[in-house]
Amino acid sequence: MLDRTRTTLSDGTTIDDLINVQTREVQLRAISDPELYDIEMRKVFGKTWLLLGHESEIPNSGDFITRLMGSDPVLITRQKDGSIRVMLNVCPHRGMRVCTSDAGNAKVHTCIYHGWAFKNDGDFIGAPVAAEQMHGTILPKEKLGLTQARTHLYGGLIFATWNLDGPSFDEFLGEMKWYYDMLFQRTDRGLEVLGPPQRFTIKANWKTACEQSAADGFHTLTLHRWLGEFAKFGDGDLTTSMYGTEVSSLQGHALRCMPAANKFKQAAGFRDGNLTLEEKLAIVPPPGITKEMLPQLIRNLTPEQLGLLVDSPPQVGGMFPNVLIAFIYVPQPDGEIIGLTSLHTYIPKGPDELEFCNFILAEKDAPEEHKQKALQFAVRMLGTSGMVEQDDSDTWPHITQTAKGAAARNITMKYQAVCTTPPRADWPGPALVYEGFTKDDTQWNWWLAYRDLMNSSL
Amino acid sequence: MTIDVTATADTAVAPDAFRANRVPVGSPAYNQIAEFLYEEAWLLDEIRLAEWVERLDTNLRYTCPVRQTRPLSQNAASIVRTVMHFDETYASIRGRVGRITDTRSAWAEDPPSRTRRLITNILVESTDNPDEFEVKSYLLCSRSRFEETNLLFLSCVRHDLLRRHGASFKLARREIIVDQTVLGFPNLAIFL
Repeated sequence: MLDRTRTTLSDGTTIDDLINVQTREVQLRAISDPELYDIEMRKVFGKTWLLLGHESEIPNSGDFITRLMGSDPVLITRQKDGSIRVMLNVCPHRGMRVCTSDAGNAKVHTCIYHGWAFKNDGDFIGAPVAAEQMHGTILPKEKLGLTQARTHLYGGLIFATWNLDGPSFDEFLGEMKWYYDMLFQRTDRGLEVLGPPQRFTIKANWKTACEQSAADGFHTLTLHRWLGEFAKFGDGDLTTSMYGTEVSSLQGHALRCMPAANKFKQAAGFRDGNLTLEEKLAIVPPPGITKEMLPQLIRNLTPEQLGLLVDSPPQVGGMFPNVLIAFIYVPQPDGEIIGLTSLHTYIPKGPDELEFCNFILAEKDAPEEHKQKALQFAVRMLGTSGMVEQDDSDTWPHITQTAKGAAARNITMKYQAVCTTPPRADWPGPALVYEGFTKDDTQWNWWLAYRDLMNSSL
Repeated sequence: MTIDVTATADTAVAPDAFRANRVPVGSPAYNQIAEFLYEEAWLLDEIRLAEWVERLDTNLRYTCPVRQTRPLSQNAASIVRTVMHFDETYASIRGRVGRITDTRSAWAEDPPSRTRRLITNILVESTDNPDEFEVKSYLLCSRSRFEETNLLFLSCVRHDLLRRHGASFKLARREIIVDQTVLGFPNLAIFL
């Protein structure tokens, strides 16, 4: 694992001064301090696994997309053998961005500055006027390719890291993989994106969005209160749906499992234990799953996973450091329940700005009509114009700014709502389990994971 | 590689130069349409949303595609109509407005942004239906929130279909082609 050091800022403040493990407080200064930001780029975004997209964005040989890994632009390409590579989109000659498009198809990527050319696996082909050797003879051509990241596909999601010898992706997910598999590994052909991501800018530090993604339940009651007032979710009382089970790990991952019986009248009978799994699945299929796809769930999940997915599906949460996961239901007036699947990455763009990148997905095997409905409702609820998430977009900038005040920087953010309910004896899953009303434990674990990385000697 | 220099970014829209169906700038129909768009901008800037909704056709289709950076030779691909920023019908727009007008917690616009919708470059085409006009307009929307001194801007072209309704019009279709691949607005909690 990581070696621990004492990361110290220029005024002598340590990470451990900022994050008080005894009292579960974080100094507000930690949100948008520029010095911390530089360390985060190296020790967090330079070292952990990062979500970049989905393989369905580049189905054919030669297809590419460009994305950001923290502050580094990367080129993501589909190889002839079907594999996917992620590499630094920076020319090893003079640092120009090699590929300047968001997406496309190309066998060769040529830098427009001096013409250095690269195969779509990143290998250096050569420079113009080969006989004159623009690249010299000091370094062999093998050393002049695009810097390769370590890549992993999980349920079709493209992850990469610059930490070539660090933890494997499975180690990174740890015990939480059992729950993520219920979302990302539950069907034969998996998910696909329904288009390129929505992208927009919020003048806020990335951590404001990301610590919230670690299953902050309390904010729903006030910041998203309109859901009860107008959309009449939970018959107008959102507190009911805040009872459930939160799961998380010291890697900073988190999910909130919300009992279907708390959310839907149709599922009220789930509690009494008289319904079979098949009967429950027919009443309220997991978000994004149609009845026809149920045999796939049975094939791909263990009975324990499937049972939980039906009774108390994970619906919102995050993956450290900067992913929000939403597998949510949108009940319709006519009783139909539409399932939405969306993933966000919050990309740091300086201490005071983030890019909100919203991927909308659906099960590949879902009927086209179902996908289109899910897409429309995802656009209406989440992302750029999403009626739920638009209410988040003032709080994060305000916190980013207040964190700079001479007095405010020394007050603390408090994560002192601690779960004291023991896990249910029959809880089927691993990891850290917090039963009952939503509390702060999962978000606190996010900060512990952050602290761990920030104190690493890497 | 050949580059079609006549290609517009949006191949769904025919090149505008020398279109036979142009409704001349300054003609009575043109002036009515310009006035409709100016009034619409005023209603939205004044947050008179219920009155704005009255000007929408019940068959409204209201969309805002995502943009991508693509080479000139693939300029049409810079407009993405799968995942969009808005993907709306009359009913969904009413839902969005109702969230703002009928609750006490639509925080994204409470307190509201101070906005200014500047409408220019209006070009009108008649269609086969004498009561329907295809209208192109440029919109520069500035937005100010709280004490931020730098205005946020969003620029776009809107391709509208206006349908005559009594002495005025209703908006039956609007496609908003934004200029940014990464929007500079923190949300689209306002209408364009």
